[in-house]
Amino acid sequence: MLRARWYKVINDLFGNKTRTLLIVLSMSVGLFALGIILSARTILSEGLAESFAAINPSSGTVRTTELFDEEFLESVRSMKDVQEADARRQISARVRTELGEWKNLTVFVVADYDDIRVNKVSSQSGVWPPPEREMLIERAALSVIGAQVGDVVLVRFPNDTERKILIAGSAYDPAQLPAQIDGTPYGYITFDTLEWFGEPYGFNELHVLATHAQDKDWAQQVVNHVKDKAEKSGYTIPLSMIAEPGQLPMNDVLQGILLLMGLLGVLSLFLSIFLVVNTVSALLTQQKRQIGVMKAVGGSTFQILGMYLVMVLAYGVLALLIAIPLGMAGARELSSALAVFFNFEIYSTEVPPLTIKIQVVIGLILPVLASLIPFISSLRISAAEAMSIYSISKGRFGKNWIDQILSGSNLWFTRDLSLRSLLLSVRNTFRNKGRLTLTLITLTLGSATFISVFNVRASLSSTVEDMIKWFNCDTMLTLDRAYRAERLNREALSVPGVEKTDVWIQLPTRLVRSDDSESGMIYMFAPTVKPDSLIVSPTIAEGRWLAEGDDNAVVVPSAFLQDEPELELGGNIVLKVNGKEYTFKIVGTYIGMAFLPVVYANYDYMTRITNRIGEADALMISTRDHDPVSVDAATSMLEAHFESVGIRVSMLTTINMERRDAEASFDAIVALLLVMAILLALVGGLGLMGTMSINVLERTREIGVLRAIGASNRGVAMVFIREGIVIGLMSWVMGAILAIPTSQGLNQALGQAVMGVPLTYSYSLPGMWLWLVVVVLLSILASFIPARTASRLTVREVLAYE
Amino acid sequence: MNLSIDNPSPPLIELRSVVKVYNSLAGSVMALNCVSLQIFQGEFLVVTGKSGSGKTTLVNIITGLDRLTSGEVWVSGSPMHRFGTEKAARLRGGTMGVVFQSFELLPTLTVLQNVMLPMDFARRYSVWEQRKRAFNLLEQVDIADHAKKQPSALSGGQQQRLAIARAMANDPAILVADEPTGSLDSATAAAVMGIFEGLVQEGRTVLMVTHDKDIAKRGSRTATLVDGEIADAQIKESLHA
Repeated sequence: MLRARWYKVINDLFGNKTRTLLIVLSMSVGLFALGIILSARTILSEGLAESFAAINPSSGTVRTTELFDEEFLESVRSMKDVQEADARRQISARVRTELGEWKNLTVFVVADYDDIRVNKVSSQSGVWPPPEREMLIERAALSVIGAQVGDVVLVRFPNDTERKILIAGSAYDPAQLPAQIDGTPYGYITFDTLEWFGEPYGFNELHVLATHAQDKDWAQQVVNHVKDKAEKSGYTIPLSMIAEPGQLPMNDVLQGILLLMGLLGVLSLFLSIFLVVNTVSALLTQQKRQIGVMKAVGGSTFQILGMYLVMVLAYGVLALLIAIPLGMAGARELSSALAVFFNFEIYSTEVPPLTIKIQVVIGLILPVLASLIPFISSLRISAAEAMSIYSISKGRFGKNWIDQILSGSNLWFTRDLSLRSLLLSVRNTFRNKGRLTLTLITLTLGSATFISVFNVRASLSSTVEDMIKWFNCDTMLTLDRAYRAERLNREALSVPGVEKTDVWIQLPTRLVRSDDSESGMIYMFAPTVKPDSLIVSPTIAEGRWLAEGDDNAVVVPSAFLQDEPELELGGNIVLKVNGKEYTFKIVGTYIGMAFLPVVYANYDYMTRITNRIGEADALMISTRDHDPVSVDAATSMLEAHFESVGIRVSMLTTINMERRDAEASFDAIVALLLVMAILLALVGGLGLMGTMSINVLERTREIGVLRAIGASNRGVAMVFIREGIVIGLMSWVMGAILAIPTSQGLNQALGQAVMGVPLTYSYSLPGMWLWLVVVVLLSILASFIPARTASRLTVREVLAYE
Repeated sequence: MNLSIDNPSPPLIELRSVVKVYNSLAGSVMALNCVSLQIFQGEFLVVTGKSGSGKTTLVNIITGLDRLTSGEVWVSGSPMHRFGTEKAARLRGGTMGVVFQSFELLPTLTVLQNVMLPMDFARRYSVWEQRKRAFNLLEQVDIADHAKKQPSALSGGQQQRLAIARAMANDPAILVADEPTGSLDSATAAAVMGIFEGLVQEGRTVLMVTHDKDIAKRGSRTATLVDGEIADAQIKESLHA
């Protein structure tokens, strides 16, 4: 048999179901948000590591211009510091999608699909290995070409051979950038099929796994040894890349997402704490009289404190019972969705016990700690004060200048207007300022977080726009080799719809460090620099863009300076171009992602030092009309014309495609932000509803008084609804202001993680207005429901309400 | 004016020059102005006065529900004026029962549990003893049949009987009642007064404040409060004969 005080706790918990439900929901939404974020973060991190380890990832890749055979591969495998090596043939082909559009297609040819030793590819669906004259498509690429397993597609190789080929199945190759992000699908065939396309046997790509794969510097040295060996064997190396140990190609973006999730988790936690403090203090206000009675019958502060702490613990347990399973399910769904987007496998969606422990600790201990302050201040008042029958009129309204203004006595213009009930609502809002402050902090935090999420989303779009603005052209073509620049310009301008042209050259380079070690492959783009140049400039982070007449100036990505500490703005950089070392001066840095380093140099200077004066291997065109349809039409005509005059296009992209691809790389972040926005709207919204509802419940007696003096039910409800709207609007205004620094912080963190510089700041007005609508609707709903319930009681019942 | 009588035994409650000032937006209000009072064991002291005269403040000060501004309050030889809320609650729980005009019952506890609660706080009896004792007290005030009901299901008179049973839970020597009949009709009020008289006959000390002069006549001693001062005191001859 329980002691009487525990019956009170139980009856308080289950006797007022509406209040319990509101408090438990407020707490559980915060805990749910925290659980989903922490669990998904761990599931993704572990899944990523396991998934990547399972494919035996390479330390680096060396590509050759000439083909090599198994004998050379075996000689690489026998190198002292090479743990394992494998070879593939990589071909840049084109595929016609179901819409009739030609897209780039990277085809890999593997000698033995059942003996891939490095960067393993596995079967996802359909047959395995790819049968002769059939092809497998990487699983993430099927949507890019709009095809299904079993479809037949037309593929064109660089040798102009076109074949209709069956997609016999899908493969899983997490070592590649997900196709939907870089816009390039991957196909897998055998050497028999390659022969069918009229291509000779041979490999052009070496995947090397160093002996100490986790040591990036060591891996770099080993890959450089392999590259030297290949060069000594007479192979030209156009490209070599070093992989970050244990990291997928999109690791930077994924880390950005995980960081963002962590930051939003912390914000959700703060929000939850304020919700708990708010609801507990509201509960105590409601229970003030009963606390007084318990003191009067001999209850000590500790005994009463113990009762209410147990009650808060019970709320926490109930909230955890809801939040833990929902958080686990949500984390699984979110992790699975992100894993699909980043194209890796999650082998286990087991929620880590630590996450549940954190949730339990936060769900139980934090509410108790958070509620100690309102408890102690509530228990400090004397029993007589607690039980005072004058509690209705005991608010401290009228003391300061805010109250003076709101009293309406100075508002002469209101005297002839029927604003009495509105003023009553506004005055009620300010009557209990401590409570109002707590409510406003909670709601402002919710508002600011929601608007900030929209701001980050808008900033991502602005950043993409900034990146696209670099190119003042509509289409970019990469050619299979260098052509005379003058010929390229002339042929392109002869195509209807093409208005302006410009050329550049692309060169594979490597950074040579002071200790003679070399970096992985860096692309050097050398555009023409003149007033009418089609390339304007990337968004410059520091320093300046290339100038006409610059000789050895380069502009590098901002993230590059972080990765290579010995480089600095204004300092020198040694780049190896075509096997020779050249010293350049870093004149500027641009905002760019770290996973695709590109340095810019002057076209005239680069063609001069590489003996390619007057040549170009890339072309940009500007069309007369810039809408996607006109650009696509002009581009198709240009491609056909180039083909007819013997100029081979190996890669083609329009700015619209670039924009789509750039946005796609942020799609996961944007989608995640939207999920978070909805989640935070739920937390904030429920917090708002809970706070408002308890606010009204607490004043049930006052409703009785208003009705006793003749107020109609509707009139009473309106007083509370207006009060709710006033509080909602105040939190919206403050949240909109607080969102400015909050979103700047998020932009800084996310931008640094993904690109090495903050995102281009943008404030989302739609997000701000959307939250206004949400706040007003929730305020009305939250005030209306309890006010209506209270107005349905008889005056006697209401006045007796506790 | 001091209110003291010649009695060889020491007083159970003694107020010495008690002053209580309330500070509010409207200014300072002196609720009790230098009140001195002695209450002896077995007395039924009724304090009367108009609304605002300081009656409830007097009850709150004696029971330790509120703190005084100056002066001294001694209860059963203990200096209540020096006690913090914790000690005051312990002293109150052990030696005093309090009955309020508006009953102040806990709405989420049953009738029986309301009576058990003070015993639980005082940790005097085992849970079974608390239950048994609570039933006995409810029988004494004739509401044992309603033990499992919520207080809201009882009539006003029954709620006040319940409040008296709760006040008697820890078998206190002193019962303090603030307008216990103020919310009751005359017949029910008379019945409640009968219960108080019965308790006095058992040897308990009762201090009651009321504005009703007819009710006041049923005490062994009366005092009148006017503007926070004791203006008049009478002792019933029969009780001190």
